[in-house]
Amino acid sequence: MSGRVIVITSGKGGVGKTTTNANIGTALARAGKKVVMIDTDLGLRNLDLLLGLENRIVYTIVDVVEKRCKLKQALVKDKKNPNLCLLAAAQTRDKSAVTEEQLKDICEELKKDFDFILVDCPAGIEQGFQNAVAGASEAIVVTTPEMSAVRDADRIIGLLEAKEEIKSYKLLLNRVRPNLIKSNDMMSVDDVVEILSADLIGIIPEDTGIITSTNKGEPIVNDEKSLAGKAYNNVARRIIGEDVPFLNLEEPQGVMAKIKKFFSGLTGKEK
Amino acid sequence: MILANLYNKVIGFFRQTEVQETESAKETACNRLRVVLMQDRTNLTPELMERMRKELVELLSKYVEMDKDALELNLEQDGDQVALMLSIPVIRAKDEDEIKAALEAEDKEEEMSEEESDEESEDETEEENLDDDQDLDDNSEAEENLEDESENSDEEKETGK
Repeated sequence: MSGRVIVITSGKGGVGKTTTNANIGTALARAGKKVVMIDTDLGLRNLDLLLGLENRIVYTIVDVVEKRCKLKQALVKDKKNPNLCLLAAAQTRDKSAVTEEQLKDICEELKKDFDFILVDCPAGIEQGFQNAVAGASEAIVVTTPEMSAVRDADRIIGLLEAKEEIKSYKLLLNRVRPNLIKSNDMMSVDDVVEILSADLIGIIPEDTGIITSTNKGEPIVNDEKSLAGKAYNNVARRIIGEDVPFLNLEEPQGVMAKIKKFFSGLTGKEK
Repeated sequence: MILANLYNKVIGFFRQTEVQETESAKETACNRLRVVLMQDRTNLTPELMERMRKELVELLSKYVEMDKDALELNLEQDGDQVALMLSIPVIRAKDEDEIKAALEAEDKEEEMSEEESDEESEDETEEENLDDDQDLDDNSEAEENLEDESENSDEEKETGK
């Protein structure tokens, strides 16, 4: 087996890297893939919380690197899905505790046993980013339709393009708010895609369910009814190679919109 | 069908007026982002752009009389390519004698400055910064907007390598 190493990165903090990681990882595992997630955000680990695994961590990536345990010993199995594992970050150390080479070695080792290795990258463009990217050959750039997030994504894309090891990168647009887009108060998906000229792998709507799912330590993809969950599931299917159309988040609501949709359907003007 | 068309027209009308009244938050964001990303991607600061603008005015005024303040120099993105767009409102085309005179004046200046070339070394290093391979090499265009005297429409389009 030779797994795919995908780094999930964004530049800006707080756009949903870790949430994306937890959900794509869980969705891939639910689809029957063997998945391991690596949290490289040393000193600020969070992926364990989103997965509800914070109490099960015995060893971290730093213990592996400093040879206090074997790599396999440090992998924490998910509560529900035996296909899913986490290699946690150390909370007490800083970014210099693991080097690019060491991360590369860990990824190489994990490739043998897993279909997907998802690397959760810390915010910023410093060493933490360089480390996280080191072992990866694909990248998902998470951004939101906000100026600062898009600008930082552009910066990250520039850095990724300069890396030979990164063979492809895709854009994931998070926290999309259809109502604000409709009223022209927020940049649309098309705007962001055009500005960044990158391929899109997913559009995730803003969803209050994310907050409750984080609080419970239960990724939202496990909730069949949630729109964000569906969107993340679709991203996972696209990663596997399925051709899944993007969800229509701008489903018109209200009487006027329905009438309009009805008419435009008749005249065939609807996009 | 007729009803539907009418409805779409009415809706279209309201939409248009909405957009025309003021720039929407989304448009503002897009426009600001485009400008800022262009600067991020090229390392051309506003000061450097201003300097480039001034130098272009100097160069071009030898050949045409133009509205110097209205000269616009912008970086624009077209897909993957970044283009340097120059828009120059031309007031009047200069006649041959004027152009000749300007060129001769410049030649003389050059001779003069060759003699005292020490001072220029500082300028040159700064210019080299501009050359620092900045994805701009592919595309540069100059446009002339001939406003009034269109009979002198010697349109000048330069396309870089």
